[in-house]
Amino acid sequence: MLTHLFKLIWNKKKQNFLMITEMFVSFLVIFAVFSMLVYKYNNYKVPVGFDFKDVWVVNYNDAIKPVDADSVALYMNNIRQSLKSLPGVVDVSFASGNVPFSFNTNNTELNNNGKKYRSNIFTVEANYASLFKNKMIEGRWYDKSDIPAKPFPIVINQTLKREIFGNENALGKTIIQDKEKLKIIGVVADMKDRGEYETPEAGYFNLADTGAYKWNSTILVRVQPDVDAAFEAKLFKTLNNVIYNANIEIEHFDDKEERKNKISLVPLIILVVVAGFLIINVALGLFGVLWYNISKRRGEIGLRRAIGASGNMIAKQLIAEALILSTLSLLLGSFFAIQFPLMNVFDMPSQVYYTAMLLAIIFIYLLVLVCALYPGKQAAAIMPAVALHED
Amino acid sequence: MLKNYFIIAIAVLKRRKFFTFISLFGISFTLTILMVVTAFINHVISPDYPEINRSKSLYVAFLRQENTKEGWANQSPGSYYYFDHYVNKMKTPDKVAISTLFAASNTYVNNKKILVNLKYTNADYWKVLEYHFSEGKAFGEREIGNSEKVAVISEQTKEQYFGKDVNAVGKYIETDNIQYRVVGVVQNVPMTMPYIYADMYLPYTVSKAGYQSTELTGNYIGILMAKSESDVPKMAQEYEALVPKVSPLNKGFDVLETQADPYLATFTRQMMGSNNDSGVASFVLIVSLLALLFMLLPTLNLININISRIMERSSEIGVRKAFGASASTLVYQFIVENVIFTFIGGAIGVLLSYIAISTINSSNLIEHAQLKMDTNVLIISFFACLVFGLLSGVYPAWRMSKLHVVNALKAS
Repeated sequence: MLTHLFKLIWNKKKQNFLMITEMFVSFLVIFAVFSMLVYKYNNYKVPVGFDFKDVWVVNYNDAIKPVDADSVALYMNNIRQSLKSLPGVVDVSFASGNVPFSFNTNNTELNNNGKKYRSNIFTVEANYASLFKNKMIEGRWYDKSDIPAKPFPIVINQTLKREIFGNENALGKTIIQDKEKLKIIGVVADMKDRGEYETPEAGYFNLADTGAYKWNSTILVRVQPDVDAAFEAKLFKTLNNVIYNANIEIEHFDDKEERKNKISLVPLIILVVVAGFLIINVALGLFGVLWYNISKRRGEIGLRRAIGASGNMIAKQLIAEALILSTLSLLLGSFFAIQFPLMNVFDMPSQVYYTAMLLAIIFIYLLVLVCALYPGKQAAAIMPAVALHED
Repeated sequence: MLKNYFIIAIAVLKRRKFFTFISLFGISFTLTILMVVTAFINHVISPDYPEINRSKSLYVAFLRQENTKEGWANQSPGSYYYFDHYVNKMKTPDKVAISTLFAASNTYVNNKKILVNLKYTNADYWKVLEYHFSEGKAFGEREIGNSEKVAVISEQTKEQYFGKDVNAVGKYIETDNIQYRVVGVVQNVPMTMPYIYADMYLPYTVSKAGYQSTELTGNYIGILMAKSESDVPKMAQEYEALVPKVSPLNKGFDVLETQADPYLATFTRQMMGSNNDSGVASFVLIVSLLALLFMLLPTLNLININISRIMERSSEIGVRKAFGASASTLVYQFIVENVIFTFIGGAIGVLLSYIAISTINSSNLIEHAQLKMDTNVLIISFFACLVFGLLSGVYPAWRMSKLHVVNALKAS
């Protein structure tokens, strides 16, 4: 039976070659779309890792700060105290500009026994973790005693821990950044700081010393959940009074997250719409061609019916032919698709590609099946006497 | 002859309605998507209000300084000093617009937050960029010289801050605790024009960042406008000749690299170019490849359908061959037919893209931006139609021309 079907396909190899090519290209398109979807969905499932609701960020630039370090510390302390004295402010923390959902990044290279790793570097204060309600996985977060310590204590995130140490223990180990020794005192849960649909990157936190204040231009503020609309204007006024001569902007983290999410979702939506249109196009085309083929094969089908094939068998034969064609193109397509996880293109986990491949295969089979069902039914309805008479 | 082909093409169209629908659907939607994308790219890169002098302007978006001994580099926009001291002394540019990149600030009205993007400019900025003023006018050398706290604001900011049907000129707007007197209101500019977008324009002399600093790098970009388009290459050369003369560089650096680029090149150079390569060629190549890739699947689909349709016409082909039509005549006929067909699909595509673009514009998907179907877009879609029609017609036509007379006649 199967060899017979292959023979039938082989006899019309030119026409079938085109059909296979079309299904093959469709498979690749669907594979690409599913890879993206699976990747984003996987990221979406991961917990956010911190609480940014009711946290605001103040960006100020061009502030004229005092020259020497002690006066800067005094100046910054004044900012902190004035903000904290506002009813409605829960906590205030200075941080480097690469706060969650911002477009700033700050990268560095870490060295562990000669192997090099890229990592984000976040310069924060000791109350950062309590402000964002970060979860510790191992060890501890900073406390006040850490500032003068040598070697410099750092807290790394889960991703960085996984990249450098895998399943080994990381606590107490030292790594090197630009000749400076860093001692790991804790591992903190990943923060999904690039948006809900993105993977967190490797990163570590180091504690801001007084020198960092000079370059600071970002303030994190946690406010009470019930602050009213007038509060923000008041906060802005206060900031204007303590940070002289600067451009100041207040942003809310939930708005920032939404903007980041939009940036990840909009291309995805466009991709799905375009792919959806291509698939409708292909489906209509397949349907048309299969239908047309049947009307050309009336003689053959009539003959089969005359020597005893039932209508059902005819329908099954035609559907099986279509499915064999799609199997051939899927084999070809899978050969190319499997190169992505094998050669690790685009740096996505290989599980994503395998899931996407499986989904794409199911999708193409379903698509071909749906397109072949109606023409198959049509063929089953062919009356042998009528069909043979025409010839 | 062409008229005949046209009549045949229409007759074929009417024959199998379902196939006609599939083909036209494929062609028109493919072209719609291509056209909307083209309209967007066109919107982003071709001159439009108020940046209508793009074709006779060059942009200096950043300076790159390198320490060749230790291998570090720093890339940043220039300082006011750099533009004033070096670029302003060039001879070919007619005017040089110097302005900061926009920076966000807030202001509050009745406890409602308004986001105001600030931009500090010089006086020539208003001559290089041709903003439409719905009220008042720009500030000039006098206001800048006196460091007057005056502002030109966008219509959107005016509406948010003062209300819709009131005059804003002469009133005061407050941001960062400073009162600025409004001297002009300009029509909104979309954020897709990153070098000139802002909600509030202020004289550079009131800027808080010290514009007097003699470092080379700062927060300013320059738009160099020549007297005419033909002067642009000369202007680029003059700028290139200027760069080695800039000294001293910022501490620690020994090489300065900077270009005065046409608008598109300022982006492509950063994305895919280098110091010697503007990246425009790679950009065009990538965009064309993507478009071809996108057209691959609809083309394959159309080829499949065309072959089915041709085989249906085997009797016609047989008769024509029997009466002496050569293979090349038949190939020619079929390709012409297919191109006619594609153009009918293309016409529907134009209609659909018109609807799509109006929807995008009215939904304000890209704030303040108006996508347009201008001649550029239409010319590009015309060529897309042609390529599409040829690609999907050649192979089926070739298959058809190979049919044997006897078989073709017998098949029916």
